[in-house]
Amino acid sequence: MMTDIHQYLAELDDIPGTRVYTAARARKGYHLNQFCMSLMKPENRARWKADEAAYLADWPLTDDQRAAVLARDYNRLLDLGGNIYFLAKVFSTDGLSFVQAVSTMTGMSVADYQAMMLAGGRSPQGVRSIREGN
Amino acid sequence: MARITNGLATSHVPAIGVAMDLGKTDEPYWQPLFAGYDWTRQWLAQTKPDVIILVYNDHASAFDMKIIPTFAIGCGERFKPADEGWGPRPVPDVIGHPELAWHIAQSLILDEFDMTIINEMDVDHGLTVPLSACFGALPEWPAKVIPLAVNVVTYPPPTGNRCWALGEAIARAVASFPEDLNVQVWGTGGMSHQIQGPRAGLINREWDNRFLDGMVGDSDHLRRIPHIEYLRETGSEGIEMVMWLIMRGALGPATRALHRHYHVPASNTAVGHIILEPVT
Repeated sequence: MMTDIHQYLAELDDIPGTRVYTAARARKGYHLNQFCMSLMKPENRARWKADEAAYLADWPLTDDQRAAVLARDYNRLLDLGGNIYFLAKVFSTDGLSFVQAVSTMTGMSVADYQAMMLAGGRSPQGVRSIREGN
Repeated sequence: MARITNGLATSHVPAIGVAMDLGKTDEPYWQPLFAGYDWTRQWLAQTKPDVIILVYNDHASAFDMKIIPTFAIGCGERFKPADEGWGPRPVPDVIGHPELAWHIAQSLILDEFDMTIINEMDVDHGLTVPLSACFGALPEWPAKVIPLAVNVVTYPPPTGNRCWALGEAIARAVASFPEDLNVQVWGTGGMSHQIQGPRAGLINREWDNRFLDGMVGDSDHLRRIPHIEYLRETGSEGIEMVMWLIMRGALGPATRALHRHYHVPASNTAVGHIILEPVT
């Protein structure tokens, strides 16, 4: 039986602390994610590191997206259509691991986040659904 | 005739590849994870698959936002390890099996699975980490590999039921290939992980282990798990587990487990690994 797309999408927005990479986000973040992808090339990484603002000027991003990239505000970038696998090109260029970069989105220090992971990770209890509060 | 002898599933966490490439596998953090692959390496050395159909997802390496294939099959002669932003992994090139890959691609299209055909692409950690974890560090991979890339990044990914049906169609395609080949299907990705947003770090050991339990036997209930359940219960990146169902679908009505391993954490992720054989 075909799933109703509106109901499907509404459920994706009902997960606490999570931005599912839907078509709406993919459209909003198209140039942002393609900018991130450009950092896969060593010569582009060198230009980016030399002058981030000048490099960004070549990309049709919104002012909010530019500011969030420069601030490395990853939660904001997710809201503005960024996808984590693309944003990873930015934090990898900064020399950060996934754990280091991901912890910045949780409000925890890297050490506290790593300790949580070693202790078995974050429990799903209470963070499954905004509506159900479970 | 070619035949599918076994299925294997494993997580494909990039940090596993980094730990191997930097010689850290004996460190206390990594040792318990790699211990779960010792059995696998011996078993693979004995069973000697000729070809592995390796189901994985690309992580913004070969595919960017320009083109997003839901199901894509690698029909090329060889695939190089991708530069994911810190240089390519120092692992061998992946050697394809164009004849079998094209046979599968043609058969799948006639069987109403409209595959994207890829002749050239680099393969990222999603494909090379399972090879490293399961074979170890080798000068060349001991089997040919047919990459089968699934979109699980941009929503919606394919449903679990569709993945299962694709696996069944792959099994039909392999069975009609005239050469005598020992073919394995590997499903990769998962288990619990979320690497974005304030909920990052979510791990659900109970759910993951129920999923591993479910891979054994008829597994029929697994094909009806909706996307939202993977996301709520196992984190936003837990959705990768739909790819395991392509492998499971390819094994037929019933399976038994030969080996199973579960470990938390590798970086942000719960690592699950299981080896299955069809029960006829």
